[in-house]
Amino acid sequence: MTEMSFTEEQRDCLQELINVAMGLASDKLARFLNTFVHLQVPAIGLVNAADIPEQFRGQYQGLNSSMISLGFFGDGGLRGETILLYQLDNAGKISALLGYDDDATSETEMLTDISSILTTTFLNGLAEQLDNSFSYAAPRVISSRDNDFISKLEQTAFHWQLALKVDIRYELTDYSFDCNMILLIPGEAVLKLKTILDNVLAEF
Amino acid sequence: MALTALICDDSLLARNQMKKSLPASFDAEIVTATNGMEALAVLRNQEIGVVFLDLTMPELDGVGVLEAIKAEKMDVFVIVVSADIQPEMQKRVMDLGALAFIQKPVNADKLGAVMRQYGLI
Repeated sequence: MTEMSFTEEQRDCLQELINVAMGLASDKLARFLNTFVHLQVPAIGLVNAADIPEQFRGQYQGLNSSMISLGFFGDGGLRGETILLYQLDNAGKISALLGYDDDATSETEMLTDISSILTTTFLNGLAEQLDNSFSYAAPRVISSRDNDFISKLEQTAFHWQLALKVDIRYELTDYSFDCNMILLIPGEAVLKLKTILDNVLAEF
Repeated sequence: MALTALICDDSLLARNQMKKSLPASFDAEIVTATNGMEALAVLRNQEIGVVFLDLTMPELDGVGVLEAIKAEKMDVFVIVVSADIQPEMQKRVMDLGALAFIQKPVNADKLGAVMRQYGLI
């Protein structure tokens, strides 16, 4: 883990790049939902991918939760997978606000749309600041109204070494909406990311 | 007497980006703060000509700083430099008395143009 871990300067740098990317995603979400999104400083943390399921067990176990995965591929070996975790109660509120029908098909459609706004906009913003560009796999709704949520998360996290956790709370004007975004990245991509962050830091 | 400028941002990278983006002709002493509370402490204790203010910060955010500046009738120019680009937020900070809103990451040309417009350079 040592060569994988970030220095305080690298962490600060990544945090700021994430802030800027989140600002873009929030603006897009606000326009889409026709509301105002209260932005907070997102908490980021780098952990072993294998520890991810346990970290989210308490928050999601036994609840109707949903998980949407999006693979991304950049230049120079920068690649990974983002997972957006929600409780379905939250998703239902958004769904109603957007005027989707209350059935399973539109729920999947809605989750894919929201994921696309939050994840793709975020990742595009991040890629641009890293002087990179990402392409994406089709989003997968991995789990919905499913009690076996944690084992599904385990199966996904299993393929990766490291996870960058970004805890995001979207507070809209009328209610709040919590979701967790996890960026799962392989070890070589972490090394690549560290090099890029050092280059960004060297510029300033 | 040269002006003193305050850069307020919780990110070291953002503070450094801001310093580096300031026009060479800007003759000012630069002081920094890492959150809104620190910024207010600086503003209450020394003569500051212009504040480059981030919005999303711990302790006290940029909106809180603008509200305090307004309430305490402080005589200072505020240029907001933020990633929170929602139109409603831009309107909110302008209504609170900010001179200008600059989107992050800060662009030196845009910053220079705004500073020229308000006679800071």
